[in-house]
Amino acid sequence: MVEDRSFTGRLFAAVNFTLLAIIALITVLPFLHVVAGSFTTSAELAASKFVLIPKVWSFEAYKFIFSTSTIFKAMAVSIGVTLVGTLVSMFLTSLMAYGLARRDLDGRKVVNFLVVFTMLFHGGLIPTFLVVKELGMIDSYAALIIPSAISAFNMIILKNFFQNIPEGLEESAKIDGCNDFGILFKIVLPLSMPAIATISLFYAVTYWNTYLTAILYLDDSAKWPIQVLLRQIVVLASGLDHSATLDGVVPPPDQTIKMAVIVVATLPILMVYPFLQKHFAKGAMLGSMKG
Amino acid sequence: MKKKSFSILLTALLTFSVMLTACSGGNKGASAPAETGGNASKAGTEAQAEAKTEAPTEIKIMLPLNTSETPPDTIKNELEKLTNTKLTYQFFPADTYEEKLNSSFATGSLPQVTYLKNQTTFIQMKDPIKDGQFWEIGPYLSEFPNLSKLKPEILNNTKVEGKLYSLYIGRPLARQGIIYRKDWADKLNLAAPANVDELFEMAKAFTEQDPDGNNVKDTIGIVDRNELIYGAFKTVSAWFGTPNGWGEKDGQLQPEFTFPQYIDTMDFFKKLRDGGYMNQDFAATSKTDAVKMFTSGKAGLYIGGSMQDIDSLHKDLIKNVPDAVVDTHSMVAGPDGKFAQWMIPGYNNVVLFPKSAIKDEAELKKILAFFDKMMTPEVSNLMYWGIEGVHYTVEDGKAKPTDDKELIEREVKGYKDSVIGESETNGMYESYNTLPGRIHAEELILENVKVGVPDPTAPLDSATYTEKGVELQQIITDATYKYMYGQIDKAGFEKEVENWKKRGGDKIIEEYNAAYKK
Amino acid sequence: MLIYSTASSIPKSGGTLHQYETERKKIMQDVTAQASTAQPVLKSSKGKNEVKRRIWRNRWLYVMIAPGLLYFLIFKYLPMYGLIISFQDYKPYNGILGSNWVGMKHFNRLFSEPDFLNILKNTIILFGLNIFIYFPIPIILALMLNELRGNFFKRIFQSLLYIPHFMSWVIVVSISFVMVTMDGGIINDLLVFFGFEKINFLLNPSWFRPMYIIQVIWREAGWGTIIYLASIAAIDPGLYEAARMDGAGRLRQVWHITIPAIRGVIITLFILKIGSVLDLGFEHVYLLLNSMNREVAEIIDTYVYTAGLRQGQFSYSTAIGFFKSIIGLIMVMTVNKISKKMGEEGVY
Repeated sequence: MVEDRSFTGRLFAAVNFTLLAIIALITVLPFLHVVAGSFTTSAELAASKFVLIPKVWSFEAYKFIFSTSTIFKAMAVSIGVTLVGTLVSMFLTSLMAYGLARRDLDGRKVVNFLVVFTMLFHGGLIPTFLVVKELGMIDSYAALIIPSAISAFNMIILKNFFQNIPEGLEESAKIDGCNDFGILFKIVLPLSMPAIATISLFYAVTYWNTYLTAILYLDDSAKWPIQVLLRQIVVLASGLDHSATLDGVVPPPDQTIKMAVIVVATLPILMVYPFLQKHFAKGAMLGSMKG
Repeated sequence: MKKKSFSILLTALLTFSVMLTACSGGNKGASAPAETGGNASKAGTEAQAEAKTEAPTEIKIMLPLNTSETPPDTIKNELEKLTNTKLTYQFFPADTYEEKLNSSFATGSLPQVTYLKNQTTFIQMKDPIKDGQFWEIGPYLSEFPNLSKLKPEILNNTKVEGKLYSLYIGRPLARQGIIYRKDWADKLNLAAPANVDELFEMAKAFTEQDPDGNNVKDTIGIVDRNELIYGAFKTVSAWFGTPNGWGEKDGQLQPEFTFPQYIDTMDFFKKLRDGGYMNQDFAATSKTDAVKMFTSGKAGLYIGGSMQDIDSLHKDLIKNVPDAVVDTHSMVAGPDGKFAQWMIPGYNNVVLFPKSAIKDEAELKKILAFFDKMMTPEVSNLMYWGIEGVHYTVEDGKAKPTDDKELIEREVKGYKDSVIGESETNGMYESYNTLPGRIHAEELILENVKVGVPDPTAPLDSATYTEKGVELQQIITDATYKYMYGQIDKAGFEKEVENWKKRGGDKIIEEYNAAYKK
Repeated sequence: MLIYSTASSIPKSGGTLHQYETERKKIMQDVTAQASTAQPVLKSSKGKNEVKRRIWRNRWLYVMIAPGLLYFLIFKYLPMYGLIISFQDYKPYNGILGSNWVGMKHFNRLFSEPDFLNILKNTIILFGLNIFIYFPIPIILALMLNELRGNFFKRIFQSLLYIPHFMSWVIVVSISFVMVTMDGGIINDLLVFFGFEKINFLLNPSWFRPMYIIQVIWREAGWGTIIYLASIAAIDPGLYEAARMDGAGRLRQVWHITIPAIRGVIITLFILKIGSVLDLGFEHVYLLLNSMNREVAEIIDTYVYTAGLRQGQFSYSTAIGFFKSIIGLIMVMTVNKISKKMGEEGVY
């Protein structure tokens, strides 16, 4: 973009930059505290109020959580479920969103309403459990993906993006002999990369955060994703479970271990966004090309 | 052409998703028969090899996970050998155990052996128990020499309408007391508090007389948390002479908060808070934060938890204050000079046996036989302490855990909370202690029971309490905190008690008294 | 997609397309104008034929929607029979068929709960904070990020802002506790240092709502920008070019190009958010809740937890959920209608 070189323009840019820098700092400090806390001793963590740079470095917490294969297995499960789940979800969601984005489709209003309705009304845990059970998905990874394959919210957002693509483009593609599938994959999707990137990220994060469905549908703890481990440690270390209180037998895990697990379980998904960011610029670029 | 490539993509994706289901479904299908089949064949070969041995009993067990991860099979394998069983342990996070329990129950998929989580989940299950969803095991206990050793008074507390459906996981009746900074007390020439007034003075001195000697007034006496029962409140209220949950007044059972001693206890904490002798935010302080105040050397008295916690508190404290000395104490007399301790009903959790999973009496007996074996010293030691020489050693006839705490954490801890009975009945080792405060604690726990006050409603049943007892208790809990923070006075508190009565409390009183008379 | 890059361009049914073009536009206006009144159109034989033809022409679109629709039917609609239990005294072991019918009993219990109005009020106030304070913030942040010069800082800031979303409420609340507690929290220490009185952030009921919304903003604002940034990225740069030619400054470009371009997304998100009026994050509020602030902090979800789940009352909690859903539905339908009246798309 061309720089606005006027005085007000520069002032505006400077103020904007400073503000954002401050906001970014505030948002990121607690996370830095968690990271720093994971690299120090529990003694230092207990003694100081808010560790940002450890005085005493310690890798004990990481040594502890990496000393068995559990965390690696859980991580592999999470990565697998996230990748496959996001692919499946994106595939089904874009198909549906594209169909519903076309204004000339009879019955789209009904289907749209049906979708919105599911955001408001839920049958509850047990009936859903029964459906999953009847489909034979108990104890399979499919139970983590298929029953949550389409998010109504994501579908509606994606549909919204698709609707903003000028219809003329689709028409000209039709004239070129594309059918609807062709239009979707050849024209609409490439033009919607920012949206695709966003919705993929949303799905990836949802799959990464899978917790309750894993507990409900998977009896075999070897199949549990990383969030189960993370939550278990965080809850134990935070002393939230009142029921286990009068129980000298099981002292909670160290706070440093809690923080190390948070870091380990969060980093992979944090890395997804910067990777997707380039598509935000790309969408803009394609947008200009079409003009 | 286009259509074709698309349909390939579509088919690929669909097949992929089907494969996902199919292979895992197949897995399940394959593993289930493999289990039975494999066992059968294994059992078969074993039977051929040693004609005398019986086929191992297959048992599936569901229990809450109280450690960070599911333990490996080390203990389980030993356990199977000792008990001639083929065990499937299904651990589920304690935090969301109720959800799992409810959904498994509602879909008829509870395993043969179902551990509950605590007394609250047990109360929730009373309805289906009454409805006959679980095996009544009372009549069979006498057939099993070890199971029949279980303490009758505790079994009685777990009965539902006079019938026994469960085995209990025992806990010492009264482990609560004070863990305090002995070095601070010595420095200020204070003895362990003999009565509640001395306790108050100690909290005051710990706050005002700079016990840590850094010339800054940065310490407090008592650290408490957002929990009336397992925090300091209930323990101190017992010292004041408040009944345990319910007490008899004019021949009628009445809830504890209608007794004047309850008000005295609230006044005691109000004075402590007003004076700044305890943490100001205790109504919002979690256990971890409370413990942290003690282990960081800021607070001098930790009240209400198990005195056995002294080991872990001490461990963390000396990292921050290397020369700190801690001790335990529990004999604090009330204003009338009498001692009293509240007691839990003697169990921490129970095991139920769903009829949906156990088909007949014969199967039930086989499973009970497993628990009977669990109550031998050999098996209970294995489950509680681990493998001798690996996880613990025996010293002076007591178990001393290895210094490799991580090993115990991973391999043993998960099973600890599932041992039936207690050391008096299952014969497992007591723990070998080295910390003087812990040795003191064990003595005190025995002393506590001598002046122990049981909850008279523990074996009783009230339909209204089952339905909305927890919800109603909230009214009293809130009012208690508000009183201690000075937001309501005695009249205001009594108004809340009236509110409790009006909204169902009266019925609870009525129902408990009806059951009490029987 | 790669598979299509080599695809030939043999026309399939191209010939009739132009014919339809004008008709389609007309019909489209019809359809949108008559809203859900597809029935009357079907009645006239002429319209019937048109519809038939249109449906046939769009057959592939139906094929595309089918898997998704099937998904919603199987995993969302099929289990909805579970809502029946809000009219029963449901016992899991008796099943839905075997449980007793009790009519409106559970709803009556909820409405006659002495604290019901207060809980409803608390829920609505927290929701109001979400709508009026939180909701605009991601939009403003996204606009600010978009105005940053240079992609480097843009990316860095974006990546930092969205980190808090990944910290669970347990962590957020426990970190706030450490900072604001009266027993040595940094903020109260600072207040004392500057000669102020200590503030009881954790227990004082009047501090509950500010604490709540600050935590929501802290955790979610950065994450919320993503969707807006995506729609900003989809804007045709040519529009900005043209505006600059006309001598429009940055703020005017934002006002006249960026905001109108993302208005659709804003409205969609707003409608969807409205539907969750009584459905606030349980875990967050529950962690902030204590005996001292219950009068303002108890919301429907926390009440359900105490009254229902903790005591295994399936029917009662389902009934409360049902009630929440109906309110949500009314809200969504109302706002959707308003937005359509104002010439916007709406969500259905």
